[in-house]
Amino acid sequence: MAQHKVNYTQDGGLPVALTSIDKIVNWGRSNSIWALTYGLACCGIEMMASGASRYDFDRFGTIFRASPRQADVMVVAGTLTKKHAEFIKRLYDQMTEPKWVISMGSCANTGGMFNTYATVQGVDRIIPVDLYLPGCAPRPETLQYGVMLLQKKIRANHASRAQKAKRLM
Amino acid sequence: MAQVKNRLNPFFENITFDREDNEMILNFGPQHPSAHGQLRLMLHLQQEQITKAHPDIGYLHRGMEKMAENMIYNEFMPTTDRMDYIASSSNNYGFALAVEKLVGLEVPRRAKVIRMMLLEINRLMSHLFWLATTALDIGAMTVFLFAFREREYLMDIIEGYCGARLTHAAIRIGGVPLDIQDSFITQLRVFLDKLPQNIKDYEDLLNTNRIWLMRMEEVGIVSTEMALSWGCTGPMLRASGVQWDIRKEEPYELYDEVEFNVPWSDKGDNFARYRIYMEEMRESAKILYQTITMYQKCVKDGQTELMAHSPKYISAPKLDIMTQNYSLMQHFVLVTQGMRPPVGEVYVATESPKGELGFYINSQGGPYPYRLKLRAPSFWHTGILTDLLPGHYIPDVVSIIGTTNIVFGEVDR
Amino acid sequence: MREYTPKDDVQKKAYYTDRFYVSPQVPKSPVESDEVFAADLAAIKAKFEVTDAYIQVEQMVVFIKPEDNFGVLELMKEELEYTQLSELSAIDWIAKENRFEIFYQMLSMNKRKRIRVKMFIENGQAVNSVEKLFRSADWSEREMFDMFGIEANGHPFMKRILMPYDWQGSPLLKTYPLQGDEFAAWYEVDKIYGKESRDIIGPEIRDTARVDRYDSQRFARLGHEVPKGTKITGNEPKNEQNYQEDGGVFMVKKFDKKDSVVIDDPQR
Repeated sequence: MAQHKVNYTQDGGLPVALTSIDKIVNWGRSNSIWALTYGLACCGIEMMASGASRYDFDRFGTIFRASPRQADVMVVAGTLTKKHAEFIKRLYDQMTEPKWVISMGSCANTGGMFNTYATVQGVDRIIPVDLYLPGCAPRPETLQYGVMLLQKKIRANHASRAQKAKRLM
Repeated sequence: MAQVKNRLNPFFENITFDREDNEMILNFGPQHPSAHGQLRLMLHLQQEQITKAHPDIGYLHRGMEKMAENMIYNEFMPTTDRMDYIASSSNNYGFALAVEKLVGLEVPRRAKVIRMMLLEINRLMSHLFWLATTALDIGAMTVFLFAFREREYLMDIIEGYCGARLTHAAIRIGGVPLDIQDSFITQLRVFLDKLPQNIKDYEDLLNTNRIWLMRMEEVGIVSTEMALSWGCTGPMLRASGVQWDIRKEEPYELYDEVEFNVPWSDKGDNFARYRIYMEEMRESAKILYQTITMYQKCVKDGQTELMAHSPKYISAPKLDIMTQNYSLMQHFVLVTQGMRPPVGEVYVATESPKGELGFYINSQGGPYPYRLKLRAPSFWHTGILTDLLPGHYIPDVVSIIGTTNIVFGEVDR
Repeated sequence: MREYTPKDDVQKKAYYTDRFYVSPQVPKSPVESDEVFAADLAAIKAKFEVTDAYIQVEQMVVFIKPEDNFGVLELMKEELEYTQLSELSAIDWIAKENRFEIFYQMLSMNKRKRIRVKMFIENGQAVNSVEKLFRSADWSEREMFDMFGIEANGHPFMKRILMPYDWQGSPLLKTYPLQGDEFAAWYEVDKIYGKESRDIIGPEIRDTARVDRYDSQRFARLGHEVPKGTKITGNEPKNEQNYQEDGGVFMVKKFDKKDSVVIDDPQR
């Protein structure tokens, strides 16, 4: 038998925490953001670097998933071309609600330096975007800060109320 | 939750199945985690065996050649970074060398040494990245984490030099913009001293690993004829029995002064390519040690020039621009209007980590290239999948794509 | 008053051009100056008509008739040891001479030499495919077709390669605008949402220098961020962006700025 004494009324000793549904659901959502591996170009390499040994994305509960059906956030990392545009829409539609989109890098934000015939001028012409990360390519720290801001955004939601689907149009 | 309205048909063509002849068509990509980018493969399958492969590219076509026709030469330099974004400096260098050949510039020795250092660091970065991703695709997660750890050391060195981790733009037409930082050589030495042990670690994990051997040996055999016919270069060609390295055969920079071997194999399979990448890392380290000595000799001899002296094409050093009127005027013209190379054309090939990276420039004497064709090695290494994949099984697709080391910024340009 | 000249793309044209400026030429040397090239050229000349040949930047350039391209490349591959076709593509001379220039970049590994075989074709004329000789021409010729609209006779799969199959226009023609034509501008919107939604999504913003501080849809002023779509007056208070709420986060350790370390020296 355990001989030590636990004071259940102090130091968080009570194995019960009281909170609201909103908070507990948002706590779960925000601390296990699974990202879809959507490396399109150079930024995809920095996205991989942030998942690898030095930057270690797992600390945030962010694990990269290869399937849109298991993912909560789509990190659009790289240039979206006109040929690819329909596929990003398909994959976005396949993700389950609630879902978020991070547009990583100048190309995904605005088309960036590729002001040409073949490049979509900003991924927000195709799908609604929650967070824009500047940089060409953004450092892994930028992506991590972006994920923390996204966590904050998720916490601000009311999980108990019906979520309004984000629509571009 | 209702889906957002769109015009796209339901996407069922991912798998089509014909009862008659038992043929299945599998659509792989364009967004597949182990396709190393945006490769789409249409695979015709007989049971698990591939009967016909049809690679579809262009999902990262950004129109770089068209951009080059609308830019002055110096302006195009950062765009070349985004071609093979694993080893940006090697693209910068290929373009810079092509323009230098076109206008006939002689680069100072110290700049050449620095360029060689950057090129070899980029080769190491690229090969480490190749090892990491290929191992991850095959399932060796540890190697992925190990190789990325080493790559971050190199990235720090490069970042100290040019300020960017990935897209360096570290080389200019006519030389390099600045001298290496004080800690560069110390940091590089520390890294290089550790590298043999690191490579040994990877090899200990992989060389006798049963899974690795089964996925690599006798898989994806490229014969010599096939490699030559498909225009393969770099490790792809060297693994197929042709000992051809542009650094050795048509030396540029100071590659004729350094000693290194060109590893090659006559097996042509995935495992041969893997071995060649590992050996090339050792050779790069050897070259880097020699460049450090060369750099220290440059410092001792008092060679401080970093840019070629050619007022018609290259801006004068900063000090001259700030103090001399004529240099300032030249600088102003070169920045606003750009240099005007002579009328003519040039094709220059360099050995990038992936293979022969060629720049064809046709100049009509204007500040913009009239036509610029980027000959990227990965384009043909993707094309060879058409002939290489039939006969293999589905799991082999991933390991073959892995060892061809294709980067889509370069394939689609 | 002086007449107004549009200044949208001033860099496209030089501010000032010297009327007497003559561009220098990249030096060409005669083929006889190099033994290997001279022998190769003699072998080609024995069977085919060569209109011009010279050496420029260490590589020989040979001009041939367009109908001979397969024969010349076959001869070079079989007899002259030029085993690799590194690159082939076209140059657009339509505005000047209504024709295209095609080049084949050949490499001989045994001789360590590179030759560029060139030929001119009329606008609309097709070339003979060399795909049977070099498999690498398979994709190169498709790319040439995609970018210039030049077809290759005898190619097994003459379809676009880089652009989508339903694309219109050949992007690398000099007449094709860099930022795309009307079709290109609406391509993805038309395909995904349909033509009727063009008004809702709006045209592409191609002006890279455009900044509007009163537009909270597309821009965010650093340190003065407001929710998307809010009307901006210009006197927004500074709000420090923090990734944790002030009151702390449920079951997550509160971040204290005083305990954090700011790294000034990246080389530490």
